[in-house]
Amino acid sequence: MIERTPLLNIATHLILAFGLIMLLLPMYLVVVAASHSLQDVISVPPNLLPGDQLWVNLQEAWAKGHLGQRFVTTFIVAIGVMTGKVVLSCITAFGIVFFDHRLKMPIFWAIFITLMLPLEVRIVPTYAVAANAFLPFQTLLDLSGITWLVNAASGVQIKLEWNLLNSYAGLIMPLVATATGTFLYRQFFLTIPEELVEAAKMDGAGPLRFLWDVLIPLSRTNIAALATIMFVYAWNQYLWPLLVVTDQSYAMIAVELSRLVPKFSATGGEVPKWHIAMAGTVIVMGPPIVVVVFMQRWFVRGLINTDK
Amino acid sequence: MRRAYFKNNWVAALMVAPQLIIVFTFFYFPTSQALYWAFTLEQPWGGGNTWVGFDNFTAILSDSLYWASIWVSVVYAVGSTALAVGMALLLAIFADRQLAGYKLYKIGLIWPYAIAAPAVGLAFRFIFTPGAGLMMFVNQMFPHLWNPVDNGNQAMAMVIIAGAWKQVAYNFIFFLAGLQSIPRALIEAGAMDGARVLRRMRDIQLPLLAPTFFFVLVINITDSFTDSFGIVDTMTAGGPSRATNIMVYKIFNDGFQGLDYSGAAAQSIILMILVIALTFVQFRYIERKVHYT
Amino acid sequence: MNKTYPALGALALAFCATTASADKIKFDYWYGLSGDLGAVVAQTCDHFNASQDKYEAVCTGYDGYELVVQSAIAAFRAGKAPALLQSFDAGTADLMMSGQFYPVTQMMKDFNIEINWADYFPGIADYYSSSKGEMFSMPFNSSTAVMYYNTDDLAAVNMPVPQDWDEFAATLKALKAKNPAKCSYGYEPSAWVDLEQYSAINNVPLATNNNGYDGLDTKLVYNTTSAEKHMEDIKSWLDAGLAEMKVSAGGMNSQEAFAQNICSFFFGSIANHSSLNLKHADGLNWNVAMIPVEKGNTRHNSVVGGASLWVLAGKSEDEYRGVAEYLKFISTPDSIKFWVSNTGYIPVTKSAFDKLTADGFYSAAPYKGRETAIASLTATEPGPLNRGFRLGSMIQLRAEWLSDVQAALAGQTTVKAAYDMSVERGNALLDKFAKTYAGKTLP
Repeated sequence: MIERTPLLNIATHLILAFGLIMLLLPMYLVVVAASHSLQDVISVPPNLLPGDQLWVNLQEAWAKGHLGQRFVTTFIVAIGVMTGKVVLSCITAFGIVFFDHRLKMPIFWAIFITLMLPLEVRIVPTYAVAANAFLPFQTLLDLSGITWLVNAASGVQIKLEWNLLNSYAGLIMPLVATATGTFLYRQFFLTIPEELVEAAKMDGAGPLRFLWDVLIPLSRTNIAALATIMFVYAWNQYLWPLLVVTDQSYAMIAVELSRLVPKFSATGGEVPKWHIAMAGTVIVMGPPIVVVVFMQRWFVRGLINTDK
Repeated sequence: MRRAYFKNNWVAALMVAPQLIIVFTFFYFPTSQALYWAFTLEQPWGGGNTWVGFDNFTAILSDSLYWASIWVSVVYAVGSTALAVGMALLLAIFADRQLAGYKLYKIGLIWPYAIAAPAVGLAFRFIFTPGAGLMMFVNQMFPHLWNPVDNGNQAMAMVIIAGAWKQVAYNFIFFLAGLQSIPRALIEAGAMDGARVLRRMRDIQLPLLAPTFFFVLVINITDSFTDSFGIVDTMTAGGPSRATNIMVYKIFNDGFQGLDYSGAAAQSIILMILVIALTFVQFRYIERKVHYT
Repeated sequence: MNKTYPALGALALAFCATTASADKIKFDYWYGLSGDLGAVVAQTCDHFNASQDKYEAVCTGYDGYELVVQSAIAAFRAGKAPALLQSFDAGTADLMMSGQFYPVTQMMKDFNIEINWADYFPGIADYYSSSKGEMFSMPFNSSTAVMYYNTDDLAAVNMPVPQDWDEFAATLKALKAKNPAKCSYGYEPSAWVDLEQYSAINNVPLATNNNGYDGLDTKLVYNTTSAEKHMEDIKSWLDAGLAEMKVSAGGMNSQEAFAQNICSFFFGSIANHSSLNLKHADGLNWNVAMIPVEKGNTRHNSVVGGASLWVLAGKSEDEYRGVAEYLKFISTPDSIKFWVSNTGYIPVTKSAFDKLTADGFYSAAPYKGRETAIASLTATEPGPLNRGFRLGSMIQLRAEWLSDVQAALAGQTTVKAAYDMSVERGNALLDKFAKTYAGKTLP
């Protein structure tokens, strides 16, 4: 496609440059704030040009936030959550789109509704589940009378317990369920031409073979997009890690970052050390950018074009 | 829509089971407990509760300020979604032309999603401060024009822009991915038929992007209703005089900070019903216009 | 400097790991202070753990009181709560009604640890005591509100430090006349200062039932007292340009505006004394004084703010022994001195205050001026209207107050209508709180 569209090209560059400036402006301000002393950061009018304290602030943030140690934990959790989400939502959407059963829509909605109630609202009962992941099943057994029956018949008291507090499982598992991912794959799977399914069936390929050989290669760009988003999502998780972790060897980076930007009410009026907090933000943004740069290689056009 | 399907439903069951188990364990079971509180007055430290039926709901729904809060939430949702989806779509479709510098744009437009929430709050505080930076300039030219401390509409505009900002990067990723899964052959065919760039965008790319667009739209609206208390908490705390008191922020304030579990649970149910209804409407009326294959 | 401590700690730990630490009885302590204050709490824990070899405090810091209380409730209901919890004033009523705690006076008695309860400043002790005077939680980080003023600006207009609100208004006018470009009073609406402290100092009721101490069927009455008139005064100052709104939504809050030498007055917690000392514009000369009183009124004591330490129910006796040792440890004069000299908080006992005063702690910078807070808290013996506030849903009450005051200040309604409205809404909240604990009475 070689077309000469000089005016449109200029317009394109203008639009993209404008968008880039709009999106990067806050980040620029973060870097600027990270490069000044606190006095300069909170002065009015604020400094809009970088200062010379960046390296000093970065070092202090690194040491104060124990960021080095936290990187490892957070990386493990982020990779776990990302992989879990990409895989789980893929197979769930596959089960919903490519099979004909009456529960398709109910299942989809059951998953979708999880988007509608933030963790803050259900924090107390969710913590109870983290303290014992088998609690829901124990409750089911109790309510259905099975616990009583077994106890009466054999004298054994069923008591299921699995404590997820202070563990990777507890950090990762509750974050793995994802309506967003399932929805995204559903949208994409619905665009897959029916002929592909027919062809696969004619070739005698079962559903799993079809999933692996046809769908996943076709979904590459969407997988890359979802993985990028989910890595960052997990990387920046705050409330859940804060709750389930009291053992600092599992502490996550966003929790540590928030300690660098304390809430005003929790500090007795102390002016937050914005320069250190922003330097911490700059450090913490590092791994996500690596992931973005790495993942964007899969954003390549025209993969579906091979069906000749 | 009729589709070709695989027959062995036990495979389907196996595929959806893991996610359903996790969702049941970590969402439905705890949520059902929390929602039960909506019909009781629950003591936060677990000393028991009293059944009050629909009292919590009648109290909320007969409160004119609660209806105002619903209105504010709708304004926020529509404003931030329109801004975030519109911006992202524009940027993605032009970025997808892959002119020189494409890689730079791509990374630059995705990266802002990585910035942590407290930093976003501070950055926007710099941007919107009446007495400094950009807005000081505006106020020097038009005295007292910008004053989100007293002016509820301006405070709302501020929250909408900040809320939309991060979502632009998020939406951009999915739009770009969606655009790039469009078969190149279709676009080439359009070009050979003599369709120019803008026309191809309108006639080929946008319609084919519809499934992704629908996804982004639904997610944005849902998110703006349910996940926006952080930005309100750091920027306006619901003020001035309830002008930015969106529903989910009130839930957060009453339940999480104020320990009124029953009131927060009742408000959550109302919010959920509202969002489910909105989503349903979108599936029913907007998805009809989406052509999948 | 700081860097060497963890290393030393680790070294020390490595040495005794084989013997003592393995046998130490551990107990959990969760606190809601962060930033520098959180670091000081963590140091206190380290000092305690180093001071003896029997118990070990496992201290976890959270970012804010709301968060730590929320986490503790979730953990408590799942049976994993900490033994010791730092909880704020606004959470006091819920904790008292729950009964899920071990009253500190009882605990110390059970373990034969001698604490002179009469030594605590009554203004502090009363806030955390039952209506019968039994102290339920251990006062810890305590503060009260004071007036911060720019000494140079006051000297420039030749005015003394205002003692009553009329003098305060006159001072604002003089400041404005002298320097119209400068903000005289950086105002930030705060229920804690404008309503709670005001009512206590002027001895007017905020709510019936002696501000809620005598029962749950409490009604707010602050729309009928001089507190309402005080708000009208503030509004008239704002309208006349004698005061300016300084809130973080507008870029900087009142403390920052004062520290940057933009405003001549602001009101805030004495805890801010320490941060102001550390961060203020070059050449800023400032001091603190007690909040003015209404002209013609006798000054009464102000009320305490901050948080206290609650011992939660359901722990083993060993853990409680450890907690008791810890509470004893932080009550020693040395610990109190360490705490108040590293933070802006005030000592909670008379003897500690006297000792600090005798040592000359309050005679020189940077601590000079903080004794004002003690003077304010002890201006009178607390009466029924100055003990504190025993109100449920305190967070929402403050939020309703703020929303309505904002509407009045923006000119959408009158101050009177705004106060009536927030009282009406607040009463509905109190009513609901009483119903939640139907059949129970305040201890």
